[in-house]
Amino acid sequence: MRRIFPGFPIQHPRLVMVGILVLTVLAGIQLPKIKIDTDPENMLPESEPVRVMHREVKEAFNLRDFLVLGVVDDETVFTPEILERVQNITDALYDMEGVITDDILAPSEVDDIMPEPGGGIRVQTLMEEIPASTEDAQQIVAQIRDNPILRGKLASDDGKALAIFIPLENKNYAMEVGDQIQALIDKDHGDEQYYLAGQPVAQDTFGAAMFQQMAFSAPAAFLLIFLLMLFFFRNWRVVAAPMILAVIAVIWTMGLLVGMGYTVHIMSSMIPIFLIPIAVLNSIHILSSIHANYHEKGSMEETLYHTMRELFLPMAFTSLTTVVGFASLVATPIPPVQVFGAFVAFGVFVAWLLSLLFIPAYAMLMPSSTLDNFGHAHEGPAAPESHLQKIYRFSVKYRVAVLSGLAIIMVVAGYGVTKIVVNDNPVNWFKPGSPLRVADKVMNEHLAGTYLAYLELSGPEDQAFLEPEWMGYADRLQNVIAEQENVGAVSSVVDVVKKVQYELLSRAEGSNTLADDREKIAQYLFLYEMSGGSPDDLFKFITPGQDRINIWIQMRKGDNQRVKEAVTAIEDWIAQNPPPSGMEVQWAGLSYINMKWQQLMVSGMGKALAGSWVTVLIMMGLLFRSVRLGLLAMIPLTATILITYGYVGLTGRNYDMPIAVLSSLALGLSVDFAIHFIQRTRDLHIHHNRDFQKTMQAFFHEPAQALARNIVVIALGFVPMFFATLVPYVTVGAFFFAIMMISGAATFLIMPAMLSYFPAHVISGRPKGHGGQVHGVKDASPALGR
Amino acid sequence: MRKILATTLTAFALGALLQTAPAQAQPDPEALMKDAHLKMYYAGDDGTARVQMTITDKKGKTRERDFVIIRKDFVEGGEQKYFVYFFEPNDVRRTTFMAWKNPDGDDSRWIYVPALDLVKPLSANDKKSSFVGSDFAYEDVSGRHWSEDSHTFVREEEKDGHQTYVIESTPKEKDYFAKKTTWIDKASGLILREEYVDDKGAELKVFESLEIKDAAGYPTATKRRMTTPRKDNNTLIVFDQITYDQGIPEEIFSERYLKSPPREYIGQ
Repeated sequence: MRRIFPGFPIQHPRLVMVGILVLTVLAGIQLPKIKIDTDPENMLPESEPVRVMHREVKEAFNLRDFLVLGVVDDETVFTPEILERVQNITDALYDMEGVITDDILAPSEVDDIMPEPGGGIRVQTLMEEIPASTEDAQQIVAQIRDNPILRGKLASDDGKALAIFIPLENKNYAMEVGDQIQALIDKDHGDEQYYLAGQPVAQDTFGAAMFQQMAFSAPAAFLLIFLLMLFFFRNWRVVAAPMILAVIAVIWTMGLLVGMGYTVHIMSSMIPIFLIPIAVLNSIHILSSIHANYHEKGSMEETLYHTMRELFLPMAFTSLTTVVGFASLVATPIPPVQVFGAFVAFGVFVAWLLSLLFIPAYAMLMPSSTLDNFGHAHEGPAAPESHLQKIYRFSVKYRVAVLSGLAIIMVVAGYGVTKIVVNDNPVNWFKPGSPLRVADKVMNEHLAGTYLAYLELSGPEDQAFLEPEWMGYADRLQNVIAEQENVGAVSSVVDVVKKVQYELLSRAEGSNTLADDREKIAQYLFLYEMSGGSPDDLFKFITPGQDRINIWIQMRKGDNQRVKEAVTAIEDWIAQNPPPSGMEVQWAGLSYINMKWQQLMVSGMGKALAGSWVTVLIMMGLLFRSVRLGLLAMIPLTATILITYGYVGLTGRNYDMPIAVLSSLALGLSVDFAIHFIQRTRDLHIHHNRDFQKTMQAFFHEPAQALARNIVVIALGFVPMFFATLVPYVTVGAFFFAIMMISGAATFLIMPAMLSYFPAHVISGRPKGHGGQVHGVKDASPALGR
Repeated sequence: MRKILATTLTAFALGALLQTAPAQAQPDPEALMKDAHLKMYYAGDDGTARVQMTITDKKGKTRERDFVIIRKDFVEGGEQKYFVYFFEPNDVRRTTFMAWKNPDGDDSRWIYVPALDLVKPLSANDKKSSFVGSDFAYEDVSGRHWSEDSHTFVREEEKDGHQTYVIESTPKEKDYFAKKTTWIDKASGLILREEYVDDKGAELKVFESLEIKDAAGYPTATKRRMTTPRKDNNTLIVFDQITYDQGIPEEIFSERYLKSPPREYIGQ
């Protein structure tokens, strides 16, 4: 193996290049087939019971995803002028492609159950025509207030806000319909404010924004890394090699992902951003070694053989640990995270292969004059090495303080980890102040809530819910749901039955209750259908067979924690008040699904992280042939992960999907620093006759300097992401930066302090002559900035 | 100018030709529609039938309604009274419904709710709303008056084994549909099929007479189906025990009879 890899690309550099080019083109032509997936439901596998149930309920009750247009005014939106504009928009919806006109909810579209002069009832359109006066318009608000099915949904009690719910055939129409509505608003509007929200528009907008981010953030990071490296190396030909390699790795990975038919989700859209620094870091080591050895060996061929032989094992380990870190994500039950983990792992593997094939071939094809200059850059301006020396001196001198400090920090961080709040409301993927976030906030302030969950009650046979005991249970359950803090409104067929009786009995005292007689319940529902009530409206609450009913729960906050509080309280009540025998209670709705996958994410990530931690530990033990050194290698990464997540917990930041997967990155990259540190130290230790002091001095001279610069380059490379428009990108950018800095600092500060306690023979290991694998990194210390 | 003149002359000549050949004249669409309407909805002076209604949704789930319908005409093509007694659904048994059809204004409707033992008026301002949750609107049960639309004769053709006249109608005032195409069965004069489309040409609903039989001397569409393609929903109604001209007294169309229905006309 070790001979084939350096041998083949050295002997046949052009062939290798052509092969890579062909594969890159093959992967590249897959890319246009890219399909974006922004459906939050896809956080769970299609076969997940909660999703199956959700689909079932949507199908059974004909439920749609809505685009919601909110209209808000400081005084009232119920004036003839504003209602006319609302009416114009509603009318225009009929001509828009993709709108399911039958199911539009708007004042001119929904039915209200009204008393009929003479004592009957009448189901008629809430707003038959635009009211002539503001008094008449206010009458509509009163009607909405009196109708439990419409209250809070269609308008706020104070009449300052109303909402039009626009069902779409599929979410791909959201942007187009939204634009058309916006055009109407632009053409004719008063002082009232319009807000467009709802799941489909959020998804559609997010998909578009994701494309922009992919086109901006990754290239910007790439460019900055390139420029920083150019600044340090001052040789574009050399700097180009890792950059080209990174691009190839990204193209292969994304090409394979797209080619295999996977959709690009928010996580997988960030694969390039994760791959670029990892790929760049790896190949820099090879270039550094080439650089260090070139003048000594004289010929490129000899230099390459030497370098690849020495680097094979450490390269394999640093790459494979990263692969393990990301591959462990496959153990999470969240498909987008699985895909992300699997393909980043693949990409890292590819980057490793390419560094063994592409870099030697590239080096062989480089004009020899290139490296002459490269080598001389070494004599460039000296870096502030004294600072690094200070670090190590501090670390060793105050080792007790450093290690106790570390222990304290770890304990505090560990406590922080226990405080972590899992929360990933997809609306929060948009930045505060973005139109969607504002719309979400305003509408949930005024109206009963845009976050929907459904509680479905089902029975074994048709007409089960005509039984007063069954309908009564639904009634009691509904009351309990309504009491929950986060619940803005709850509606069900119970409201219809009650409202019919209430109006039928001319709103007599005590008539706004649920009938306790099967015939009454049946006849009220029949009466509703006889009185002009649309069967379709009824079937959103009860199936035609009357064997299943659906309780609509509107919540004001979609945050997992708030949803969970309500769900838990409702489930507790159900446990204490079991439903009639034969009745089944099931949850559905996007808010519930969100809650569910976030719960799965925590346990899944915990397992994935634990698994990969143990795997990496074993690998370290094998690499260094020492349990103690293996454990030592785990310390910086463990500290990094604990500090990062402790910070998340202590500051009350939401633990969301991007933050969850960063643990893999921390694990994969931090251990690389440790590997390089220990390998190099070992080597220097032998070189300096096991004199720890001298070893450290030597290490903190040049190798540490190079390592530090690597860290800085990669960390700074992610600064452009701080300015991304999508929050997950900002999060990843910021945490990437932090993880690099923390793991770098942890390596430099902790390692010397810890090592100073180690017996000399443990640090050096058992020297196997001079060519043992422990020498692997001898000349491979990162040489950035020489 | 010359071209216009020529066209006008040709039109005149054609008009003259048609005038002199009455056997070839296009049938008067308005007269055809009126005739079909009267035969469909005003056969005899009164009539009764037992109706089985099956509503089938897109999932194939069915809902049944079983009722007797009693009708008495007062003005041919005009005032009419209906009485409906429900056997099924079981939990609404003994519910009765009455409508006084008034072609010049809103109909009047009442319902008797047995569980409350109360007669209540029902609103009648929306003719297009569903009748008992079926695909038939109230207007489809008693028939849309021909005078509400403008009619054009389109062609004659064979449709589902019947010789038919095809007529297109557009509402005179803005309505829920933009155009209706009617196939009138030449043999019986009944409506064989009607298709309602909206202004974009999308089908709103389709009415079909699936079985036309002679019942007590009158051709009667004994199986009718209304389909709503958009919802993939349809309602089949089957008429049975059909009678005509029994001399049904006007008094049964009253609140008293809603509460205690006329057994002799309803049966069991």
